[in-house]
Amino acid sequence: MNIELILFGAFALLTLLSAGTVIFARSPINSAMALVSTFFFMAGIYVLLWAHTVAVMQVLVYAGAIMVLFLFVIMLLNLGESPTRGKPTVARVAGGAATVGLFAVLAIILLKLPAEPATLSAEAQASFGTIATMGQVIFTKWLFPFEAVSLLLLVAMVGAVVVAKSRI
Amino acid sequence: MNLPNLSLADFLPLLPAIIMVVGASILLLSEVFLSTTASRAYQAVLTVVTAVAAGAMALTTMFEPPQEVMLGFGVLDPFSSFLTFVVCVGLTLATLSSVSFLRKRGAERGEFYALMLFASAGMSLLAMSNELITLFVNIEVLSLSTYALTSYLRRGTRPSEAGFKYFILGAFSSALLLYGAALLYGATGTTHLTAMAGPLSTAISSQPGLVYAGIILVIAGFAFKVAAVPFHMWTPDVYEGAPTPVTALMSAGVKAAAFAAMVRVFFMVGKGVDPQMLLGLFSVLAFLTMVAGNLLAIPQRNVKRMLAYSSIAHAGYLLVGVAALFVTGPGEQFRLLGASALTGGTPLDLARAEALRGILYYLLAYTFSAVGAFAIVSVLERREDEEKGTAWDLERFSGLAQRKPGWAFAMAAFMLSLGGIPPTIGFMSKLLIFQAAVDAGLIGLTIVGVLSSAVGIYYYLRVVVYMFMRPVPEGAQALEKSWSTELALVLSTAAVVILGIIPGPIMGWLEQASSIFGQ
Repeated sequence: MNIELILFGAFALLTLLSAGTVIFARSPINSAMALVSTFFFMAGIYVLLWAHTVAVMQVLVYAGAIMVLFLFVIMLLNLGESPTRGKPTVARVAGGAATVGLFAVLAIILLKLPAEPATLSAEAQASFGTIATMGQVIFTKWLFPFEAVSLLLLVAMVGAVVVAKSRI
Repeated sequence: MNLPNLSLADFLPLLPAIIMVVGASILLLSEVFLSTTASRAYQAVLTVVTAVAAGAMALTTMFEPPQEVMLGFGVLDPFSSFLTFVVCVGLTLATLSSVSFLRKRGAERGEFYALMLFASAGMSLLAMSNELITLFVNIEVLSLSTYALTSYLRRGTRPSEAGFKYFILGAFSSALLLYGAALLYGATGTTHLTAMAGPLSTAISSQPGLVYAGIILVIAGFAFKVAAVPFHMWTPDVYEGAPTPVTALMSAGVKAAAFAAMVRVFFMVGKGVDPQMLLGLFSVLAFLTMVAGNLLAIPQRNVKRMLAYSSIAHAGYLLVGVAALFVTGPGEQFRLLGASALTGGTPLDLARAEALRGILYYLLAYTFSAVGAFAIVSVLERREDEEKGTAWDLERFSGLAQRKPGWAFAMAAFMLSLGGIPPTIGFMSKLLIFQAAVDAGLIGLTIVGVLSSAVGIYYYLRVVVYMFMRPVPEGAQALEKSWSTELALVLSTAAVVILGIIPGPIMGWLEQASSIFGQ
């Protein structure tokens, strides 16, 4: 049993535990905080998958910026604890059944995956998932879509300001 | 590290979009220094100048041979240049008609024109995208701008409802498109349309489910954007709730750009899969869209809503042209009706070139007619009536011929053009599309198209009847004049009538423009 497997087990277990807390916590603030830790542990799994950049982005963007916004919204709306568990309506039962079905399908797919992990070539292994490679690809080969995304962000920002203005 | 070779020539085709983005940035930056009451007349002028410059720039690249640019992420071909030109025409006319509209409502701001320019830049880039991720990002650029523009005037409930509906359904359709693109990537291992055909033909036998699901999801995503039945539900509410000049830009520009992207994607995908399947899918979509669009428009007394349904019907005629791209072989007694002017290539190539020419001419014709019609709607509506829902009622057109003969004449020209009656540009464009469809052997679809456009004449002519044969209602308020709207009306009426009588100059261009990359 190597160290990677142990780490993976720990991260996976903690991810599942915190994800469960997100759903089952009564107070929205506790849910949101559990979501932060879910993101952290998932970042750990990304590192194990050689996706360092994605892991860093996950912590910076999701666990950092976006979760702060979540907390702000929860505090602004002043949400209290949800009072009761609610009755089993048709929609809830159907939703639960669909979730179980989805997991069953995912399990079937996982069992069909090859047991041996994919191996990367030595050349790919050296640079795979590093920020240097991503930067090189984004700023050279993928320049056109990258610039289009920057235009998209500008438009989104201007559009959000226009829509949020109280009166024009 | 090997750097790819990007030369200045790679960026040249992007110039129209770059010009529009620069214009939009100037508007945004200068707006900061203006007080609420400062004169903003320069903004519309700057927008029009930018649009004209971008359109002229697109014309200069019109006769370049089709080629890949930006490392294959985009293409420069006459098809994309012509599309950019059409978008610039629509932007110019919509901007001219929005000046007095915004001023009457005290809502003239730099952001409005900047977002119009951003949307048009996105449309121009979309027309030249040759790779699925680039295509998706550019669709989002134009969609986000139009979402914001839809709810730009938040007076009353309608604009917010329209903006919200458009945003939710638009995001949903983008997700469908993206999912389809991801499945196609999974099946072929590439997102470049040019490289997709080869792997697709092997993937279709090894993983047919993946390929079919991908293609159907991508078609559904595009069908949302072009408002094809059964993905049209958002159209009437959004078109009605949006500020009228924005509706004009949406009906002309967004539709044109989405059709361009759809044609490009499926032109390339069609090389790898059985074209019969695409022919079947697009024929069904075209049939449903033509019939349902026209039938739903008949009971509308609200002219803006009627134009929204009519835009659905027009998407149907365009889809006939798209379907004609996927015929595999000419019919038995194959005499190309419309290809006499096109030379070179096999009959099949000619039939495809004809269909492309039909689509492009139709988009130009629809831009002139629809933007003009929406300009008339925008000068007649009063904002006090919006909540009552009578701002766009047919009654408002009663006796317009006595009050404003020029406007009534222009509106009559637009209605005849949308209905496809000669001598207007709308007739020529329908003729070209149906000619291409007949040459492709789609006789049944053509008959449905002609019959449903005959149904459409009813609701177009009803507007004309109200304008010329009904008395002026009592207590009608004086109509304000504004030079910019008049200019837009004169330009589009002239184009509708002159190009309907003398289609020659545009046809000359179109024989170039119908050559698409990879043809």
